[in-house]
Amino acid sequence: MKKIIALLVVLALIFALVACPAPEEPVVDPETDDPNIDVDVTPVPEIPDGVSGKVALVTDVGDIDDKSFNQGTWEGVVAFGEATGVEYKYFRPSEDADEARIETIRNAIDDGATAVVCPGFLFETAIYAVQGDYPDVNFLLIDGEPHTEDYATYFTAPNTHNILFKEEQAGYFAGWAAVMDGFTKLGFCGGMDVPAVVRYGFGYVQGANDAAKEKGNVDDIELKYWYSGVFWPTDDVKAKMASWYGSGTEVVFACGGGLLFSVIAAAEEAGAKVIGVDVDQSAESDLIITSAMKGLTYSTHMSLLALFENDWVWPADFAGQTANLGAADNAVGLPTAAGSWRLSTFSVADYEAIFAKVAAGEIAVSNSIDAPPTVDIAVKYE
Amino acid sequence: MSFFDLVANIGSETVLFAVPLLLVALGGMFSERGGIINIALEGIMVVGALVGCIVMITLHEHMGVWSAANPELAMLISVGAAAISGLVYSLLLGFASIHLRADQTIGGTALNMLAPAAAIVVTWAVYGRGQTSINFGNVAWRRITLARVGGDPETAGIFLRSVFKSMYVTTPLAIILLVLAIILLYKTRFGLRLRACGEHPQAADSVGINVYKMRYAGVAISGFLAGIGGLAFTLAAGTAYQSTVAGYGFLALSVMIFGNWKPMNIAGAALFFALFKVMGNYAGVIPFLPSFEGIKFNAWIYNILPYVVTMFLLVLTSKRSRAPKAEGIPYDKSTR
Repeated sequence: MKKIIALLVVLALIFALVACPAPEEPVVDPETDDPNIDVDVTPVPEIPDGVSGKVALVTDVGDIDDKSFNQGTWEGVVAFGEATGVEYKYFRPSEDADEARIETIRNAIDDGATAVVCPGFLFETAIYAVQGDYPDVNFLLIDGEPHTEDYATYFTAPNTHNILFKEEQAGYFAGWAAVMDGFTKLGFCGGMDVPAVVRYGFGYVQGANDAAKEKGNVDDIELKYWYSGVFWPTDDVKAKMASWYGSGTEVVFACGGGLLFSVIAAAEEAGAKVIGVDVDQSAESDLIITSAMKGLTYSTHMSLLALFENDWVWPADFAGQTANLGAADNAVGLPTAAGSWRLSTFSVADYEAIFAKVAAGEIAVSNSIDAPPTVDIAVKYE
Repeated sequence: MSFFDLVANIGSETVLFAVPLLLVALGGMFSERGGIINIALEGIMVVGALVGCIVMITLHEHMGVWSAANPELAMLISVGAAAISGLVYSLLLGFASIHLRADQTIGGTALNMLAPAAAIVVTWAVYGRGQTSINFGNVAWRRITLARVGGDPETAGIFLRSVFKSMYVTTPLAIILLVLAIILLYKTRFGLRLRACGEHPQAADSVGINVYKMRYAGVAISGFLAGIGGLAFTLAAGTAYQSTVAGYGFLALSVMIFGNWKPMNIAGAALFFALFKVMGNYAGVIPFLPSFEGIKFNAWIYNILPYVVTMFLLVLTSKRSRAPKAEGIPYDKSTR
């Protein structure tokens, strides 16, 4: 008996050893990488004469198929590479730390990168640290602006370009669509109250408010608003959402990565609906009626193109500047593909009408995150 | 929402979250009654949930027709996989603390650290690089709905509706396992011997009980139950697995202590704890509760409640609390 147990334990130990992570190879070439990656990586076409430069993407904590940030940006890099014939690669820091990020950026530059794309606000301090060391290398920072660790000094060097998104407009469309589609009891479940999440949330409140005014049912609308403090599924989020759905909430805007899965579980039990975030999440569940998206792929592609056309120097309106992209730049919105459009009375044409108004500036959506927007509908902040 | 609906909703949610606490705390009890402190419950849950989810999705994707026709059986297979994987993982703790006489707390902590990392590696290996979540939202048969057992959701009474609002196969299973645990611990020779090994292993050894074997058995049972508990938590909390069980392994430890290492008390403690946790989240929709307006982070006041109440009750009842005497001490034959 003892021998059998010993044998079992040894087997378990071997399993554990096998399951241990192999050292992460930081440099991954798209051509030689393993075929499991979903992203469609076609071989780099033969470089035409006169095309120079090399684009490197450094991932944050996720990988390039995270269905969100890194994947969206990487797809932009790929689209750019395909269109121009410029070589592209991606690099993965060995761990979630500034030192590792800085080292990986340096590796990418040593590898010959003329442009380094960094998705995520996690890179703010890393870029701040390295942008001065490499004046000839161009940096593209998505969703952040370079600053020191204590946030005391913000500085974007001329070889760096930042992209921020007007999440409040994406949230506005989601709130508008929900109310126009006939929902009256709304919810917002955010992750942590970081700026991007707050902008989504306050935009959502404004959109729901304006739509209710237009529709004339301001008194019927109730909106519950809550930050869960987590970006992953937990029992707390599930129970909280069950309490909302149980007390009549019809649709909740799940704004924070993995907490979506807890919201979906609660919606499933109650037969209610969910709104997704960042990318078109309609594939995650049939209950997702729409998603408030920001156009990572498109903006990455367009910025790199501007850089490329200006001979690998940021044009004047990019150099050291922060682009604040919104509806006018086609950088935020709802998915309108047939499979993703699950709203019943609110049509794509209705959406395009409101989109045009926001894009033209006729409707101003406040991006203030200091205080909740002043609205006429009943909003309950929990 | 009427008052009865509210009570029914809270009731069903409470049972839902009491199940993982109960299973895992029972697991901890078996290990500690045998003399091994099992702090690795969290890690075992993570591993059990991982394997359970992978099996569930595999059944759905590759044997979709069969599993949709036999949903309960398919779920039981997934639960079984979670249990076996938890058992195997817990044997690591057994090996370190029984065979090698290592410090049980440190061994358990190491397993807790290993589990989430290993779970991500396995997720990557199975579902491709960069995948951190295993989404089982499409596995419709995982939930036992009222329609499936022949009821009509439209006409059914409030009781049936709330019972089947969030019913998974793990809920009835947990009740069965609770009964089995009581029988095993108090009504069998094995249970008596296990308890002896946790109280006074030298005495147990002197009458011919193999202490090492009994302790291995206790740890194995705890891994078995904690593995199921991990899957039960993941099913209850969302539609995807993300290499975490949100600290339920540690909550279960405190439920076990609160339950005084006795199965029925543990069941009561699990229900109590889950009730307060759910109440904390329902506070916003319970009309007569004060909302503490004007206080910063007032939403969290009710979420703190279960912990505060538990501490308070522990202070009141700690005099009667009795841990197994020999727990945490590696058994050494030469000290007999």
